[in-house]
Amino acid sequence: MGRMIGLRLIDAIPTILLVLTLVFVALRILPGDPAQVALGDMATPAQLELFREQMGLNLPLWQQYFIFLWDMLTLNLGRSLVSNVPVASIIAANLPYTIELTLVATGMGVIIGVPLGVLAATNRNKLPDSGVRVFSLIGYAIPDFYLGALMLIVFSLNLGWFPINGGGTDFLSRLHHVFLPALTLAMVKSAFLGRLTRTSLLEVLGKDYVRTARAKGARENRVIYRHGLRNALLPVTTGLGLSLLATLSGSVAIELVFNRPGLGETLIGAIAERDYPVIQAGAVIFAFFVVFINLLIDIAYIAIDPRIRVQS
Amino acid sequence: MTRPLLKISDVSVEFGPKANAIRVVDSVSFSIGAGEAVGLVGESGSGKSITSLSILRLIPDPPGRIVSGSIEFEGQDLLKLPANRMPEIRGRDIAMIFQEPMSSLNPVMTIGDQIAEALMLHQDLDRDARWQRVIEVLSLVGMPDPAARLGAFPHEFSGGMRQRVMIAMAVACNPKLLIADEPTTALDVTIQAQVLELMKSIRASVNTAILLISHDLGVIADLCERVVVMYSGRIVEEGSVESIFSKPEHPYTRGLLQSIPRLDDDRKRLYQIAGTVPMAGSVKKGCPFYARCDLRVDKCAAEMPPMFEFSKQHKAACWVTGEAEQ
Repeated sequence: MGRMIGLRLIDAIPTILLVLTLVFVALRILPGDPAQVALGDMATPAQLELFREQMGLNLPLWQQYFIFLWDMLTLNLGRSLVSNVPVASIIAANLPYTIELTLVATGMGVIIGVPLGVLAATNRNKLPDSGVRVFSLIGYAIPDFYLGALMLIVFSLNLGWFPINGGGTDFLSRLHHVFLPALTLAMVKSAFLGRLTRTSLLEVLGKDYVRTARAKGARENRVIYRHGLRNALLPVTTGLGLSLLATLSGSVAIELVFNRPGLGETLIGAIAERDYPVIQAGAVIFAFFVVFINLLIDIAYIAIDPRIRVQS
Repeated sequence: MTRPLLKISDVSVEFGPKANAIRVVDSVSFSIGAGEAVGLVGESGSGKSITSLSILRLIPDPPGRIVSGSIEFEGQDLLKLPANRMPEIRGRDIAMIFQEPMSSLNPVMTIGDQIAEALMLHQDLDRDARWQRVIEVLSLVGMPDPAARLGAFPHEFSGGMRQRVMIAMAVACNPKLLIADEPTTALDVTIQAQVLELMKSIRASVNTAILLISHDLGVIADLCERVVVMYSGRIVEEGSVESIFSKPEHPYTRGLLQSIPRLDDDRKRLYQIAGTVPMAGSVKKGCPFYARCDLRVDKCAAEMPPMFEFSKQHKAACWVTGEAEQ
């Protein structure tokens, strides 16, 4: 098992290199001169030239590329062009909020989505199934920023149950702050996971080994949860990984709607101001998350399905 | 006469929407005595598997349902039992082995856990005693070094070994009736022979009655005392293995027996019964074998023949041979 995880880690290296290259190229193609943006309209050509010299923007592209790679690998993220604060500390201040939001949203999505899927599958074509279908359609159809705004109006403004903005300070207040934005993301996620669980479980419940379990004298609950659900969870795990990534990017909009600190909110600001070092670092961190989450999915597979364990 | 272990009377099973349901099993009746081995033969689509599934009420509903009849097990009608009482019977009194050993075991559970589950559901044993019993049944089915294989997963075994695991699971609770639905069909010929030998030795050591479903008359002759022949959802002949093999009375059974290849004959082509099996439920009137029968007379198309008694142990549903006998 340890060996397999090691192999998957090595597999991830080319992906990460590719992502770094894409980020580098994308930023060079982006219109706008970073020196002009950083120094403002009043800067003289000499000042602009000096700035480019300092930032290494005059070097040939391939040299810039290797310097960029080296900086990223050594976590030398540079300073913000706008505020001159080290990028690392900007990220450190904002990243935890995004991670917190993503994790809580995913947890809620699973807690709501998987049981809904089981309910739908075990009551196929009956009332609960239709109910879950309607819920899923709504979850798919409503854009999350709109749902977020509705939640904010109802639960924060009108009812006053939740704070309107910010990220919170101590543990409890952070939980209080994250609840509503996480629930917003979780609605979309549970719609998706619910459908996925239903489909997957229905397929598994038709399998021969489920009939064997019944013939053995297992009662319906045992058949569904012990024999059905665990086999049905494999595709759901893939879906969960995909939706985790969707949540990460979805968090950008949600952080803006709820006026919450976070990586998304930071990145949007940085893009507007052509703050290259911050954009770079943000994009790279998102990319690392993607690779890391895929790795987690692979490990989850190994834990769930013994057949995968043997193949290594 | 003593009460049989299992008495199936007039059981009919339908599939599909109620308005135009297809009758897949039509008024089937037979019984099995305690410790007796009965073979149920028929082509694919003759309703033999559905009949066997109906005993445990495992027919997927929808689309299928048992529409009439009774299935008495030790005098108790299983069809009248509330659905939540059936799990007590399944696996404990009546156990079942399925045709597909490759897909009938749960891929994410160890074989030890899967056998132990049967014991856990029905017997009040502590952990140690339970594992002891798992090892015991695994060695009974000829698993080499059973204690070391408890933690192995199904994909680590060959088809024959998986079928042994299935049999171990089925006999773990010493069932009174073991239903084996084509237990050897999916296996290689040499493995088939081993599994059959195993079934025989199991029968001797566990003293269970067996209902063996097969399309292979050889397999049935090897293991059973009595044979029930099904065709298109109906029972067409029933009798002891000796009488049916030596003097088959239904033209369909005769055709089946003639289709068996023999080493000592020099035919160039194997015998085949002309035509194909009619789709279940498509024959509304008369004998379902009419279209393919060598002996047919006009009466056969008009009226379904009753079961004629040829001897105390031997019955067949054929107008021609039946009326000749009277």
